Amino acid sequence: MSAQTQRNMVAEALAQIGNCGLFLLTILKSVPRSFRYGRETVRQLWFVGAMSLTIIMTCGLFVGMVLGLQLYYVLSIFGGTAASGTVVAIAIYRELGPVVTALLFAGRAGTSITAEIGLMRATDQIAAMEMMAVDPIAYVVAPRFLAGLIAMPLLCSVFCALGIFGGHLVGVTWLGIDNGTFWSNMTANVDVWKDVVNGIVYKSVAFGAVVSLIAVFQGYTTPPTSEGVAYATTRTVVASSIAILALDFVLTAFLM
Amino acid sequence: MAREPRFGYLVLLSSHPFPMTDPVRPITDAEPLVSVRGLTTVLSGKTIFDALDMDIPRGRITAIMGPSGTGKTTLLKHITGQMAGDAGQVLVNGQDVGELSRGQLFKLREQIGYLFQNSALLTDFDVFENVAFPLRQHTDLSEELIRNVVLLKLQAVGLRGAAALMPSELSGGMARRVALARAIVFDPMLILYDEPFVGLDPIALNQVLKLIRTLNDTLGITSVLVAHELDAIKQVADHIYLIANGKVVAQGDPKTIADDGSPWTRQFFGGEADGPVPFQYPAGDYAQSLGFPRSQA
Repeated sequence: MSAQTQRNMVAEALAQIGNCGLFLLTILKSVPRSFRYGRETVRQLWFVGAMSLTIIMTCGLFVGMVLGLQLYYVLSIFGGTAASGTVVAIAIYRELGPVVTALLFAGRAGTSITAEIGLMRATDQIAAMEMMAVDPIAYVVAPRFLAGLIAMPLLCSVFCALGIFGGHLVGVTWLGIDNGTFWSNMTANVDVWKDVVNGIVYKSVAFGAVVSLIAVFQGYTTPPTSEGVAYATTRTVVASSIAILALDFVLTAFLM
Repeated sequence: MAREPRFGYLVLLSSHPFPMTDPVRPITDAEPLVSVRGLTTVLSGKTIFDALDMDIPRGRITAIMGPSGTGKTTLLKHITGQMAGDAGQVLVNGQDVGELSRGQLFKLREQIGYLFQNSALLTDFDVFENVAFPLRQHTDLSEELIRNVVLLKLQAVGLRGAAALMPSELSGGMARRVALARAIVFDPMLILYDEPFVGLDPIALNQVLKLIRTLNDTLGITSVLVAHELDAIKQVADHIYLIANGKVVAQGDPKTIADDGSPWTRQFFGGEADGPVPFQYPAGDYAQSLGFPRSQA
């Protein structure tokens, strides 16, 4: 790859980020107008939130179970299996809950938002709304963005609950850690503000905003062709995954 | 403020001449509803319009024809403010579309119906909700009144019985008629039809033709048709513009426009494969492309 091509790619990526930022400002400006489409926001909340519950719950359970198993193995080397509940909870609340939920959310809901808006553009539905004097940013984009923002912390809470349940299932029910020790160590060492709020509220809201923004931006700006929609959905997953992990590092550094 | 629909649709139900009582809508032929002045548009280095001038008279059906790629749909986008030109003016009802704010443009669009080539029905909604959509967005009408207006519009296009169907359950002709019902739900002053006859069987085509004529005559709407179907256009249009090379190359009524003797009209209306619009897309030397040595003339 020539230096010129690399420069062009970097310039294009920066331009995309800039456009995405401007798009966010446009969405925020139209949020007050989108409140009159409350039904649409609720419908989207059902679609991106409630319809994602199955994958979030299943994955949360298995992540917790795997964590419980791995930690039991590692902690048993040091004779510290009693701390299993604490470590499972802290790992899930602080990192795995928000990050894995956001990655799953990007794959399940982000792609569908991108594909839906992209197809609406390809089939002239967006143009038709503009011709009917209906602002598509307020009617189509903002409700989906808000729905993602609201759904993420809720999904993250469910993921964390199921994750801890999975850890308990493996650690206590299967491997025989004392039930009282598991819970008492966890409740004694997990801080509601530093661990739970930082993870479930701050991180997941930030991830929800980023994933939803990327999804609606990719859908709204996609070329109106089948290939364009396919690329846009792929870009949503790739860009969201990178953004989630990079943002996670930044947020962790600030929230420590 | 929400605005009330004007109920001009009532004339569709009545055999009596129904007076158009709206003082806002001028129905004289004195001033054109749409005026295009010196419109120049360059897209990707290609000149689409080169100082184009055109007038769309009020209350009549004007057809815009021309070879593929001459910018007919682009012209409709200029009229509705979806696209801005590089130079020139587009005046709709005296308002310069390029100078309007987004809010003013939306106000203007409430008075314009646009029939998309692919109908552009909202796929999440059934037929009823598609037609009701503009009413729900721009008025505070009661549910009962919305229901009545929507059913009247659907009756006008012959699809009242299809109100509960989803867009995916409609044929192309039915979807076009639903889109037409949606476009006239506010009794607009202007309807723009982008290729309304594409993909229609002869029955559906005649139904759409009849609707265009009936709506235009009964509601006093100004209609602009972009289409290629010459026979259909001859049946319905009052005036035809033929555009090519970024300009109007011929205009007139459907009966005489083909008789002006210009090479453009001869090729377009005669359906000749070659002429001012070349059969071959501009390319380099053919022999050289095939790898043969250049001939020594």
